[in-house]
Amino acid sequence: MTILIGIALVTLGTLIGSFGALFLKLGSKNFSMSPTKIIRNWHLILGCFLYLVSSIPFIISLKFGPLSVMYPFVATSYIWVTCLSIIVLKEKMTFFKWLGIISIIAGVAFIGLGS
Amino acid sequence: MIKKNKAVSTPILLVIFATAFISFAQILYKIGSLQLANTSGGFSALWLSIIKDYPLLLGLAMYAIGAVLLITALKDGELSILYPIIALSYIWVSILSIFFLHETMSFMKWIGIFLIVLGVSFIGFGRKVDTQRIKRKRSKQRRRRR
Repeated sequence: MTILIGIALVTLGTLIGSFGALFLKLGSKNFSMSPTKIIRNWHLILGCFLYLVSSIPFIISLKFGPLSVMYPFVATSYIWVTCLSIIVLKEKMTFFKWLGIISIIAGVAFIGLGS
Repeated sequence: MIKKNKAVSTPILLVIFATAFISFAQILYKIGSLQLANTSGGFSALWLSIIKDYPLLLGLAMYAIGAVLLITALKDGELSILYPIIALSYIWVSILSIFFLHETMSFMKWIGIFLIVLGVSFIGFGRKVDTQRIKRKRSKQRRRRR
């Protein structure tokens, strides 16, 4: 039961982190090294913030179960990032991306069942 | 030709270092998480325990270094090669948690790790196809402008 709380926390972390990655991508379009432009680039700042925040649920989750179970669930972020880049960034779904997502879901399921 | 080889190998080295830093950071996170106060003790107690939690702080520092290396590598590297190397971190963390944390890996868990490594690699291939398509589109537009 405690492992399930841990898994839920990791998944929450990866969801937040994926939104972070999305905003970093949006912010990278207007990126330049000038500090005044970096401060005004709210996509970039929000992306960094979400990325940092995403590690909090992950670290707390480690109190609920072994690292060798919790860490593989970090791979679920690839599922969210792929979904978000298709919905928001209008990227195309490819055969390999489908294969990747299915394989990660299966892998995570094996980790969950094996623990 | 020589120039092309150089451009490929530097990101690979960077990614290998990045995954090493990130994998060790996970072990430090786990050790550090055990020293954290319970959230039931309130937020001030939690913050205090974070500041005194050296393994966790060291882990965060290592993760930050790893992340910077990773971003630098991904900027101009070949995704279909870099993603499988990144995915290997799932194997490193499993091995490190056996050695340092005395955790056990069952057969089922290894199958899971294998599928995840495979899955992340597939997504790397998928993104490579995407970036090639975008690059082709851009060069076509540039040619049209001329």
